Amino acid sequence: MVKRVNIDEKIGATKFFVDEEYAHLKIKSLEVCEKCSSKPCLNFCPAGVYRFSEGKIVISYQACLECGSCRVGCPFKNILWDYPRGGFGVSYKFG
Amino acid sequence: MENYSFDVVIVGGGPAGLSCGIKLAEKGVNTLLIEKGRFCGSKNLFGGVIYTSSVKEIVPEFPEVNPLPVERAVAEEGYIFFSKRGVVKLLHTKANPKEAFTALRAKFDAWLSEYALKKGLLIVPKTKVIDLKINHSQVTGVIVDRPQSFDNPKPAEIEAKIVILAEGVNRLLAERAGLVQGPFKPEEVVLAVKEVIQLPKEELEKRFGVKENKGLAAELIGEITLGLPGTGFLYTNQNSLSFGIGIFLSTLVDLNLKPYEILERAKAHSYLQELFKGGEILEYGAHLIPEWGIEGLPRLYGKGIMVVGDAAGLVNPLFREGTNLAIYSGLMAAETALEALEKGDFSEKTLKGYEERFRESYIYKDLLLFKNLKVFLLKNKHLFDTYPEMIYEIFTLYFSAQGRYKKEIMKEILGIIRKKRGIWGVLKDIISWGRLFW
Repeated sequence: MVKRVNIDEKIGATKFFVDEEYAHLKIKSLEVCEKCSSKPCLNFCPAGVYRFSEGKIVISYQACLECGSCRVGCPFKNILWDYPRGGFGVSYKFG
Repeated sequence: MENYSFDVVIVGGGPAGLSCGIKLAEKGVNTLLIEKGRFCGSKNLFGGVIYTSSVKEIVPEFPEVNPLPVERAVAEEGYIFFSKRGVVKLLHTKANPKEAFTALRAKFDAWLSEYALKKGLLIVPKTKVIDLKINHSQVTGVIVDRPQSFDNPKPAEIEAKIVILAEGVNRLLAERAGLVQGPFKPEEVVLAVKEVIQLPKEELEKRFGVKENKGLAAELIGEITLGLPGTGFLYTNQNSLSFGIGIFLSTLVDLNLKPYEILERAKAHSYLQELFKGGEILEYGAHLIPEWGIEGLPRLYGKGIMVVGDAAGLVNPLFREGTNLAIYSGLMAAETALEALEKGDFSEKTLKGYEERFRESYIYKDLLLFKNLKVFLLKNKHLFDTYPEMIYEIFTLYFSAQGRYKKEIMKEILGIIRKKRGIWGVLKDIISWGRLFW
């Protein structure tokens, strides 16, 4: 329906201060993800933080836009959601 | 940081928190504003348009300020209906463009925070509030993700007589304070994705037919969201465009759609392609818009605590209100805090004054008026797919009627309406739209 979009390229324009020591997004239970048939997080996340790789969901929290969609969009509420630590994460130049 | 104690601690440096802080600082209240971003505005994103009347409430000299923290005065405002084949524009030229300005929040909020600093507000950026201090159900302060001191790595605790939550749509602390029952639902929020697209100033003014410092603010309806419940937006800044789409999160989840692919497809529409040609993407961002309305309204106050702005869900999507409501709610909370400090009473008895002020305001009355809007929009998908196509087809016929018997044209137009929605369908829609408000 829609052509593929390279989200990494898109997000490349956005500024981040990555917190290497604290991953602010966590999956509560990988088993729950295995049972989830639709895995909508792979699609609705506007930053493409959730990817499917080698049979499981992988999170790249580094490029998270902190919108909070996954906190409520996950059908099983299986995501432990927090903001990055103070001063880290997305830092809009325009907003 | 150790042994810190304030009269008021505000969590979040957006328009709600900053307005509240400015009002309190002006009255000499010992206030601390904590912002998790690197500066106020660095985490904030909106369409967006700023309304002069609301900014004047906190900065009376606005917009006669230098440098101007906004982009262009909104000289032209309206709707663009998108069909697959083209668009129909409904644009209104404003008699007083200075009523509203296009703006970028990283700049606007940062400017407002500079203004707040000059008024004496203490702002601590790069600091996240991780929890509330609660003593016998009375909120008595906040705990932040900074160490207590050089030799004590424990998170610092800050005492406050009143805590004001201006934490934004992801109201984690309001949840922790028990002011809301758990997180909002996907059908209660719109996920907006936005790009800032750079265009040389002269080129932008030429393409949009706008004069210097004047601009356009348009809502885009129809094919722009693939006909899904939601809208697009297009605003002109000084040297860039703000363009984006917003779709109910529940729709994206249910249909398993990538918002940025919808955005990209929208940009490929022939009408926008021309306007965006050669534009460099300066930034891509995303934000949730709280549209839970009156049903999802949190308790606005508790013992020693009040909730303002997006955290409370003070948004009117139909009339593009949000930052102004944030400002008004921040001011109402500030008035209530002043009253509480004067009385020395920080219980619910005095803080209830915030809710009373809120209920008297048009914000609450509007929330009541629009209480069924979100369900209505989600249920009436044809407003977003059938109507824009129909409007385009009708005007296509109307504007190519030359050289033909006009009664035939009228018949064909009726034929389009019959085919797309039916005469009864249109009448029903008009009635249900009307009943939404009466």
